[in-house]
Amino acid sequence: MPGHRTKGFCASAAALALCAVLAGCGGSGESVGGGKTVLRYTWWGNPDRAERTQQAVALFEKRHPNVQVQTSFSGYDAYKQKLAVQATGGDAPDVMQLDYRQIDQYASGGVLLDLAKQKGVLHTAEIDPGLLATGRVDGTQYAIPQGRGTETVVYDVKTWKASGVPLPRQGWTWSDWAGAVRELAKKTGKPGATDPGQSEDAFEVWLRGRGKALYTKDGGLGFTADDLTEWWTFADKLRREGAVSPAEQTTQLDGSVENTPLGRGKAVSDFNWDAPASGYLALIPDGVALAPTPSGEDGTPGQYFKPSMFLGVSAHTGHPKESAELVDFLLNDQDAAKILGATRGIPVNETIRERTASQLKDFDKTVADFQSSLEGTLKDPPQAPPSGDNALQTTFQRDYDQVSYERMSPREAAENYVTEAKAELRS
Amino acid sequence: MTTTDIPAPTARPKRPATAPKRRPKREHEGAAWVFLSPWVLGASVLTLLPMAVSLYLSFTDYNLFDPPRWVGLRNYTQMFTEDPRYWRSVLTTLTYVVIAVPLQLALALVVALALKSMRRGKAFYRSAFYAPSLLGASMSVALVWRAIFNDGGTVDNLLGTGGWVNKPGWALLAVALLTVWQFGAPMVIFLAGLQQIPAELYEAAAVDGAGKRRQFVSVTVPMLSPVLFFNLVLQTIQAFQVFTPAFAVSAGKGGPADSTLFYTLYLYDRGFVASHMGYASAMAWVLLLVIGAVTAVLFRTSRSWVFYASDTDGGAR
Repeated sequence: MPGHRTKGFCASAAALALCAVLAGCGGSGESVGGGKTVLRYTWWGNPDRAERTQQAVALFEKRHPNVQVQTSFSGYDAYKQKLAVQATGGDAPDVMQLDYRQIDQYASGGVLLDLAKQKGVLHTAEIDPGLLATGRVDGTQYAIPQGRGTETVVYDVKTWKASGVPLPRQGWTWSDWAGAVRELAKKTGKPGATDPGQSEDAFEVWLRGRGKALYTKDGGLGFTADDLTEWWTFADKLRREGAVSPAEQTTQLDGSVENTPLGRGKAVSDFNWDAPASGYLALIPDGVALAPTPSGEDGTPGQYFKPSMFLGVSAHTGHPKESAELVDFLLNDQDAAKILGATRGIPVNETIRERTASQLKDFDKTVADFQSSLEGTLKDPPQAPPSGDNALQTTFQRDYDQVSYERMSPREAAENYVTEAKAELRS
Repeated sequence: MTTTDIPAPTARPKRPATAPKRRPKREHEGAAWVFLSPWVLGASVLTLLPMAVSLYLSFTDYNLFDPPRWVGLRNYTQMFTEDPRYWRSVLTTLTYVVIAVPLQLALALVVALALKSMRRGKAFYRSAFYAPSLLGASMSVALVWRAIFNDGGTVDNLLGTGGWVNKPGWALLAVALLTVWQFGAPMVIFLAGLQQIPAELYEAAAVDGAGKRRQFVSVTVPMLSPVLFFNLVLQTIQAFQVFTPAFAVSAGKGGPADSTLFYTLYLYDRGFVASHMGYASAMAWVLLLVIGAVTAVLFRTSRSWVFYASDTDGGAR
């Protein structure tokens, strides 16, 4: 008993001591590390993005010898939660990557710095005004998009070709897609795709293909339980046939490519965003290709160019100028652009985009070509989602779990979701 | 009977009269407070104050970003009448407590009994079995646990059962096993308790012709019952509050299909994922009250099965 106490006490004392160390290093605006200004910069993404970002940051440190940048990254789901806790605790990183969904909430919650105040070091003249405006809330520039992304059906090229199933083509419809995944499952013995039922993003593409939207202009729900029932019935049927991934696979999705059925070698294709799809290359040695997402039956495209991965600066940063310099460097510097390529989508700085377009190689070029193939064919993006959407994305996935584990009918789960969503959007 | 009752009422009022005698001790009260001050400060600033704030927040609608808005009892009524997931999390937690605590205590007792009769290497095995208790609460072990029970993991390869953590009926069991595996802490306490049982009780029992099993039932169990009770209360309280293993093993979502949606996990989900901190605070207070009530019930039942040697001593005196 005394031994137990002592060991437990030692462990907790050590843990407390460690916490103190972490807190000492972590406090925003703390100047440690040999009198240097220390900035914290965080993002979500795959290891490829992390490696390139760290290289770019190293270059920034070389140019600014008095600044040290502490970086950290994780998968999207984990990032979202961690950032929320930091932000609400007043301990947001100096420079942070933000999603379209987070901007409204973070800006109105006083987490983000008005970037117009740092105009001297942070230049935005070369960014398309329409794109730039997506980082504005109530007329204030709280964040700047780093790129734009679009959804894609990413597939294992070798397996798909070997199966003899016709390759996806531009303008294919959801019924074409369903036919293809059924054929793939038959020919290859593994599901043709990730079950799209769990993905709010895929649902949005499907919904837009029918001329509807996730949210109305005033931030209400843009669809009915009938719409969602239809979508989930569609996905549920394919799953029961074995044409898309089973519940045990789908439930492991956490926003990282490693845990997708495609990444684990358990499916032939996946719905994902174009830039992060580069992460598949490390997992599928024979390579992946990008195809447009399916259109509505009348040919209406559902996917859109979404301003992706904004950069924001903490309102509580002790070093607004240095933070803004880092943002400017990541967006506008020629050499940084070369290192970063299209890891966060095609660069937003137009001069850089024109200059680097021809130099892009490997997967960056794949993404650039994919985007230019869609140029002019897509409809306008929806406005920024209301703040409740941040939580609803998870709710969507969870409610579909009830369908895929056959604990609820698509109708029951859809009614559930619509009730939850309405409550969430009201509060 | 009546004669013994008579002095009691007269004895009671005497107490205040004796109080002035204690007065001199109070001279040192100031010094006591000075020595207590680090603890008092820590407890009030780091425990009592946050608790008071959380009590206040439980009556508000608070999304962490905007100032809290008073809503009275709405969080509580919503919890009890409108939120099926809340009840699901209550059910999950109760199932877990009922499975994990008895299993863990039984294993701890069995290992403690085995260790007690060991002649050599006792210290080594005691430490070896205790190690999981030190490691088990850590995030990394919980992550390893998830990998072991995931599809393609050790358990899948050995038993061919597929990944437990992805099956609604099995995931809870994987979390419970992680708790059971950390039987070291109660085991050490059992071991200490076993060693304090006087050997002459066993000798006397043996002389009376009691076999090993009879000795266990008639000597070990009653003599160990206070320790058993202590372990039961402690592990039950801990089991109600389990978070880290549930969070890691279910990949932070209480999945699959809410099958590992523990109370604390749902509380975290409401507070930090969905940003309903008022609701989460209300949940925390209900949990506190429930744990308090369960502990009170355990104490009440203990009167009928926990045997304190001092009771009989007192009677003898």
